[in-house]
Amino acid sequence: MSATATREAVAETPPDTRGPTAREPMAILITGWVSIGAAIGGTLLLQLLQALAGPQVTQECVAEGVERDFTGAGGVCNILEAFRSRAQTIVLLLAIITGVSAIVAGFWRYRHMPSKRMREQCIAGAVLGVQGLIVALALLWVRQAELGTFVRVFFNIEVLEGYGGAFLQGARNTLLLAFAGEIGGIILGLVMAMLVLSKRRVVRAPARVYINFFRGTPLVWQLLVFYFGLALGLNLDVGAFQVAIIVFSLNTGAYAAEVFRAGIQSIEKGQMDAARSLGMSYMQAMRYSIVPQAVRRVIPPLMNEFVILIKDTALVIVLGLLASEYDLLSVAREGYSATFNSTFFVAAAVGYLAVTLPLIRLVNWVESRLRSGLTGVVGQ
Amino acid sequence: MNEDGSLVRLEAIHKWFGALHVLKGIDFAIEPGQVVTIVGPSGSGKSTLLRTINMLEEPTEGKVFFDGREITDIRTDLNKVRTEMGIVFQAFNLFPHKSAVDNITMALEKVLKVASGEAKKRAMEQLEKVGVAEKANAYPEQLSGGQQQRVAIARALAMKPKLMLFDEVTSALDPELIKEVLDAIKKLAEEGMTMAIVTHEMSFAREVGTRALFMDDGVIIEDGAPEDIFSNPSDERTRSFLSHVL
Repeated sequence: MSATATREAVAETPPDTRGPTAREPMAILITGWVSIGAAIGGTLLLQLLQALAGPQVTQECVAEGVERDFTGAGGVCNILEAFRSRAQTIVLLLAIITGVSAIVAGFWRYRHMPSKRMREQCIAGAVLGVQGLIVALALLWVRQAELGTFVRVFFNIEVLEGYGGAFLQGARNTLLLAFAGEIGGIILGLVMAMLVLSKRRVVRAPARVYINFFRGTPLVWQLLVFYFGLALGLNLDVGAFQVAIIVFSLNTGAYAAEVFRAGIQSIEKGQMDAARSLGMSYMQAMRYSIVPQAVRRVIPPLMNEFVILIKDTALVIVLGLLASEYDLLSVAREGYSATFNSTFFVAAAVGYLAVTLPLIRLVNWVESRLRSGLTGVVGQ
Repeated sequence: MNEDGSLVRLEAIHKWFGALHVLKGIDFAIEPGQVVTIVGPSGSGKSTLLRTINMLEEPTEGKVFFDGREITDIRTDLNKVRTEMGIVFQAFNLFPHKSAVDNITMALEKVLKVASGEAKKRAMEQLEKVGVAEKANAYPEQLSGGQQQRVAIARALAMKPKLMLFDEVTSALDPELIKEVLDAIKKLAEEGMTMAIVTHEMSFAREVGTRALFMDDGVIIEDGAPEDIFSNPSDERTRSFLSHVL
């Protein structure tokens, strides 16, 4: 904000070095956009129009293996109908023709462009053309196959009816497992990192054994052994859900320990010198100077670990959870068992992406903030 | 004070870094009120010598006495001892996640257990003294090198040390920022602070020091009044060094 304000105050903006544009490169760029737009946007638009027309089961649809009387037959047929329609053919042909045109014109002409902007427009148009062409050809190829069963099994949205609450509960449980595991893991990881950095071997060794063990064995093995082996085998009074949180904490702790260790070691040696020279003990220096700086540095890698953990919580599917404890994937499997329809798994994927995509964006944002300087994220 | 009236006494100090023999038998003492400047070629062991005084470098052999205690004795509480002597580093080493004033109050509150209000007051006094009070709430990255170094000096002074150590404190600074830092040190010297200063600024060493040491290859070669050492060095190595840097 302040940077912009200062720039305005002195009325100084950097000169535009990219140069003017012209009709030809603009045309190439637009052609590229038309290609990718037709292939993806056109296809989606046709699907939407068909869906708005309401469900109907046609002869062609039945011929393709969709029986009349199962749940969601109308919706499945709509998808097929739109995909088989003449309009879809036109859309795909348009995407291919414009794609090839943009590729040929763009790659042929870009060297002759007199300005940077025009050159970039030619290249962008050609690249978009490649993408549009690939998508259109792929869709054409898929159209060759018999799609009735495929669409019925993966895209029968109606079978999900009545599972909304279960999916929401599943998403809640997935996040609960991931958050609890991450918090436990961060605490454990920080402690283990401190131990592993000790100059005393007797302190280092057990922490090292713990870290290497949990990094060196499969997470699914840890879940199985801790639940069926320890919890049930030793007749402990803990449920599968609690065991899962403990295992996720232990596992994340091992990885977080390495992240924290690297973060702590990345702090300049002078920081320890300065703190000790002021009379702080080693632990005080760690607590007030080294660790606060290291924590800021390891936020992005820790958030990446969290994204990984969210997906790894799906492994609780191997444990005997109560229905109320089901995570996203368990809910999907439950739905699949009842209907033998894989649309449930597609829905689970949507659920995971709904959580992970914003988080991935957040990680990238935090990383760029950290790279651009200490203030902002680090300062306060 | 030590029994012999000195504030610091080093006895037969040797320091090895692996196979590298950096300090080869150092014996010297600093009397209260002295400003000792230590000069010499790079790699001669000046900084290591300075860092053994507050035990940031533990001598491989030999004893260090400070204010009546043998601080090389393993039973000595070094954290306590270090509160009584300040050090300023070449690389400033301010805490980047703390503002200038918080850099100073941290050790006051956490180590000396000074109440937060009182710590703030003491911090501001010291910032005032080195002329960066108006930057009290700025973070180190928002300060120039000269300002950072003056905050670092204020941070050390706020502990009310009996001895100040300066380790090439202007070597990382742009030429136009050196003076403001040297002036702050000069002011301290005038107030009678006991100091040991490792520096490459020969004219400053000569002007501010009451005593100068010339070191080469891990030993002290000359020890005397600055005028004698800078104008009339007795050793060939000192002459050669000074002719190169002056």
